[in-house]
Amino acid sequence: MVAALLALLTLTIGTAAPLRAQDPSPADAISEALAHEDARRWPAAAAAYRRILARVLTSGDEGDLIALSLLGLERVWHESAQRDSMLPVVEEVLRARPSDPVARTIQFRALSIASRDDDLARAFADWRRASPGEAAPWREYVRTLMGMGRPLAADSALAQARVALGRHPDLAGESAQIAATLERWHDAAGAWRDAIAVQPWMETAASFSLQRATAPSRDSVRTVLLAPPVVLGARRLLATLETTWGDPRRGWAALSALSVDDSTRAAWTEFGDRAEVMNAWAVARDVWEALYAHGGDATIGVRAAQAAFNAGDATAALALVERAGKGMSDEERARRVLPVAVRALGELGRAEEAARRVEEAGRHLDVDARADLARPLVGAWLRAGNVERARETAERAGALDDDATIGWLALYEGNLVEARRRLVRATARDAALTDALAVLARTRADTNRGLGDAFLTLARRDTAGAERRFAALADSLADAAPVLLATAARLAARSGEPVRAMRYWERIATQHASAAEAPEALLEWARALAKAGDTAAAAARYESLLIDHPGSAMVPQARRELERLRGRVPGTD
Amino acid sequence: MRARRLVAFVAVLCVALSASIARAQSLLVPMDDAQRNHLKAYGLAFEAIKASQRAEWFLNYRGGSFLLPDAATLRRKAALDGVSVEPVTDAAVASIRAELAGGNMDAVVLERAPRIAIYRPVDQPPWDDAVTLALTYAGIDFESVWDDEVLQGDLSKYDWVHLHHEDFTGQFNKLYLAYRDAPWFIAQRQRDEATARKFNLPHVPALKKAVADGIRTFVEKGGFLFAMCGATESLDLGMAAFNVDMTGPFSDGTPVDPDADARMDWSRSFAFTGAHIESSPYVNALSDIDGHQVNVPARRQPLGSFSLFDFSAKLDPVAAMLVQNHRAVLPDFFGVTTSFNKAVLKPGVTVLASEEGAPWVKYIHGDYGQGSWTFLGGHDPEDAQHAIGSAPTDLSLHPNSPGYRLILNNVLFPAAKKKPRKT
Repeated sequence: MVAALLALLTLTIGTAAPLRAQDPSPADAISEALAHEDARRWPAAAAAYRRILARVLTSGDEGDLIALSLLGLERVWHESAQRDSMLPVVEEVLRARPSDPVARTIQFRALSIASRDDDLARAFADWRRASPGEAAPWREYVRTLMGMGRPLAADSALAQARVALGRHPDLAGESAQIAATLERWHDAAGAWRDAIAVQPWMETAASFSLQRATAPSRDSVRTVLLAPPVVLGARRLLATLETTWGDPRRGWAALSALSVDDSTRAAWTEFGDRAEVMNAWAVARDVWEALYAHGGDATIGVRAAQAAFNAGDATAALALVERAGKGMSDEERARRVLPVAVRALGELGRAEEAARRVEEAGRHLDVDARADLARPLVGAWLRAGNVERARETAERAGALDDDATIGWLALYEGNLVEARRRLVRATARDAALTDALAVLARTRADTNRGLGDAFLTLARRDTAGAERRFAALADSLADAAPVLLATAARLAARSGEPVRAMRYWERIATQHASAAEAPEALLEWARALAKAGDTAAAAARYESLLIDHPGSAMVPQARRELERLRGRVPGTD
Repeated sequence: MRARRLVAFVAVLCVALSASIARAQSLLVPMDDAQRNHLKAYGLAFEAIKASQRAEWFLNYRGGSFLLPDAATLRRKAALDGVSVEPVTDAAVASIRAELAGGNMDAVVLERAPRIAIYRPVDQPPWDDAVTLALTYAGIDFESVWDDEVLQGDLSKYDWVHLHHEDFTGQFNKLYLAYRDAPWFIAQRQRDEATARKFNLPHVPALKKAVADGIRTFVEKGGFLFAMCGATESLDLGMAAFNVDMTGPFSDGTPVDPDADARMDWSRSFAFTGAHIESSPYVNALSDIDGHQVNVPARRQPLGSFSLFDFSAKLDPVAAMLVQNHRAVLPDFFGVTTSFNKAVLKPGVTVLASEEGAPWVKYIHGDYGQGSWTFLGGHDPEDAQHAIGSAPTDLSLHPNSPGYRLILNNVLFPAAKKKPRKT
């Protein structure tokens, strides 16, 4: 610490005039005091600082020495529990320098710690007289009152300051903090807006202060920050608040209205990054798209496409990445555009086109790049219903050691032994894999073409067709009947066919009452009955689950829904 | 012949043993950390006494456990509600009783399901009531009463009355400061003014003071009163100010009596004495009874935690019943009235819980006439800063809430067979 302070001292007082010929230089005197302080020799440090102060005040030299000595004394006496000793020293300094801001601030601090409110008020009046028309006395007094936990008194002082000085920009931050402390959110938002207009570095403080606004008060904050004129600081503050409050879409709405310049682009980029971190991919897409439209480079265009793909919008992803790729070299297109385009085409079931594009870019793709594209391409073929081409693609790309790819292909071909062996080792877990493993774990069959067809139909996004196939299989693949019916029921519900789903659940609950799927079936059946308005029947199903399957993981949820059905807990629907 | 008799004896013994294994004589409802749903456990005990089955409350034994008969209906309800029960034989019960006799524990017989009334308006205001939430969740029956029922003397039909948020000084909790234009506030004001006219009372403060007096009479004649949040402070103020104008012109058309502080008749109140009336219409507080003053930002005190006191189960069973819990230190929670300053407590008030080192207490109890009252500060034990318009607390997410247990202790306490207090 000493070394760092010495370096600073050399800069700040190194050029000051020597005190007296026989005295050490100011830098040496301060370094001696700091050395004592660093060694926790409090009396010696205090004496050293006192000596410096005495010399400076006697010689009439001014400058940073007084501030450094006073602050040093304050630290030392705080450590040695002699805070009271500070006041006489400060008062001595103030007799010579009545408007010294450091001395005044220390005086306020000492008086507030000693709870000498009347003396504090007198000191404030003295400072005001010594510095008429300045904001500093008001600002320090308000801060001191806030520190003492007296926001109402601080608010009154600010009101007087407005009378004395008008709306002074140096007091905007304090006004905002007080309004926020008093939970006057409309006023707080207005004051913060004023404050960051002149002191932009306060934006972070404003964000922390306003984010405490309760949900019903937030519209007031929005109204203030959205009011014309449209300025970057206020809009960026609101965008930050909206993301903190969990609504990045509203945040982007606040930012998107800004006129575009370099500052706006920087704000948009920062916001887009934050939206991606929040997995708000649709918002991120809009941000990158807007940036791209306003002079963003191809990198931004590709980010927009990737964000659109992650948001589930393959069509937009394809269009955006195509646009971004215009003007790129073939090599660059293969490296940056092709991965997104192939995934998007695969999602859209346009396997031929995806394969053609990979083929055309062949000479620009190394082995690793080809391997990376293999899985989406295989997926594209599967969604097109072409297992042969999918396997061929996997073989050509050397993906035969990829357990997920080969496992799925085996399953689609009805080779359950191979599917079971490979899929269980697949590293990337998702809902589809979990469903497949659940079915495979429940049947002892080695091959079953029908099961492969059912999963392939699902891969082609034919939900209704897959549902029919899974339900039909329940008769022939008896050992897996409950899980097949449950799969069919979930698909029916996803297709918006609750009545059909309910029939499947009912079948599981009545015909396979001891199956692992029975609790889920009872829960879903009860939900469907409740939705249909048959509360008595629904309650009976919930009760059946609770009594007959007390160890099921579904029990807490069933109990909660039964409570809601009976009006025992507040409903949220 | 002897061999045949021996076989028959063994067979009978086996049948008897298997029967006792299949069905124990009693169900112990543990209330320590072994319990999965403490709040519903009170509903199970209430269900038993409602069906005239013998129920006992084992004070200070495993968090204040219950002993219920091993009935199929109770087992089924316990399973449906997720309440943990432990089947116990008579021998095991005898062993527990021996343990109770040897320590600061006791068994209290729960005799009769109390008839419960909650004082609440028909048109639900934009805030909820922790007792209504607790009773509804636990499945304990109750009826609602409001000003008309109190003024008509209907409280005598009930054993237990609960108050939550009403301002018995007639100042609408001074909510006109912020909500005078809100439709629900206008409706509440119009409703109260209409009721005052119906009973030939000049204004809302007179109406609410008359209601407060009706509640005072209910306790005096042997009723049990439990109040939370703002109803605690305002009820005592309303009773003590029966003949004093302590309200501003916004509620009764006349200014506050300048000598209101001096003219308050604290002999009429339950818990407090010598409090200072907050006469400013711009300060959202009724008096200095509340230690936290949540609605006065410059006076607001931060929340800490409060500790339940230990009482002798054998010598002081009433206080012991009121603090049965599986936690001794609970996080504090705000309310219109959050706590009670010690300086204004009447001598003789039993402090059940307080915050260490703070000038206030949280939970108090006392007798008045032939009845008794209990005050718990704060609004919602599971939502420390519950605001007007906040969603009601979903107790299925807090089945082990120690704060809500305090409310339910009060519900069952009137069911206990009377034992004279020994201290």
